[in-house]
Amino acid sequence: MEKKKALIVDDSSLARMMVRKFFTEGFKDWDLLEAKDALEALEKAEGLPLQLALVDFNMPGMNGIDLAEKLLEKQPGLSIHLVTANIQERMQLRAESIGIGFIKKPISQEKISDAMQRLSG
Amino acid sequence: MFRLSELEEDALKEFFNMGLGMAANSLSQMVNNEVLLTLPKLKVVTYEEATRMLVQHSQEEKLVAVRQNFRGELTGTALLIFPGSESLELVRTLLNDDIPLEVLTELEQETLLDVGNVILNAFLESFTQMMSVEFEFEAAEYLRGSSRFLLDISSHLAAQRHSLMATGGGEDEERAFVLMMDFKTSDEEQKQHTLSGFVVLLFSHQAMLILKRELEVILSNL
Repeated sequence: MEKKKALIVDDSSLARMMVRKFFTEGFKDWDLLEAKDALEALEKAEGLPLQLALVDFNMPGMNGIDLAEKLLEKQPGLSIHLVTANIQERMQLRAESIGIGFIKKPISQEKISDAMQRLSG
Repeated sequence: MFRLSELEEDALKEFFNMGLGMAANSLSQMVNNEVLLTLPKLKVVTYEEATRMLVQHSQEEKLVAVRQNFRGELTGTALLIFPGSESLELVRTLLNDDIPLEVLTELEQETLLDVGNVILNAFLESFTQMMSVEFEFEAAEYLRGSSRFLLDISSHLAAQRHSLMATGGGEDEERAFVLMMDFKTSDEEQKQHTLSGFVVLLFSHQAMLILKRELEVILSNL
């Protein structure tokens, strides 16, 4: 069976390495794609059916909310979560308003697992 | 010479960003408005280079600073510095646009101390979130003065030594983190206030070694 595909977009190498570790250890039936900014994310996502996207908010160039909107245009229904250190209510509301999830940094295996469970539910 | 690798610096920036997220959240609750704090730049430099860099990036003669010493496994000084001419504007943004000027001036020092306290604590707490280090904070101080005085790292070190009774180490090995910070309240465009400042963390050689060791442990587990 083909592996499910997830995309992590974060300009921090540390954040990407943490997510990579969680996927390697806990989610072996997933392929993880990595991008350091929105532009690279859109290139990597081109033509691929993704199941999950984890997107940082504060990145050089396009921010995470704008990127999420672009990803949703290409693949409506894609499960996207904004993963951010900006934990203010207004940021959560912005995420909600475009129909994406919200994960507070630091990210953990448990938080990714929760996002995946909502996906299958 | 003491150096952090590119990856170690990247990791530190991410910790600081998480700290800033917490600070922005606390400030947004204080002002009932969204507060955006971003870190466009992080530099790890010697104290001497830090002074040079701050002078280079500061256009203004009058500055305002909040200074806070910390001690424990990590010992040093944290500073928040921003332009004096904009500090009242910041207080107005944080409190209420309708407050008369004389009341605002009275509240300026207290408000800026609160803001500095929230931001500096968040930065320092970001170390304790991911690392096994413990330290305590001294009370924050409000400073207002010329850029020549406030950007001169040695004057802060003298105050730090006085307060913490810290001894001077090998100056070559001591390092400062200079972080440029943008502070923005995201009202509608035309009412939006933007303010750029600096956060400077002065770490002793011993503190830098502990920090590097902790970063190596975190990164080796990934």
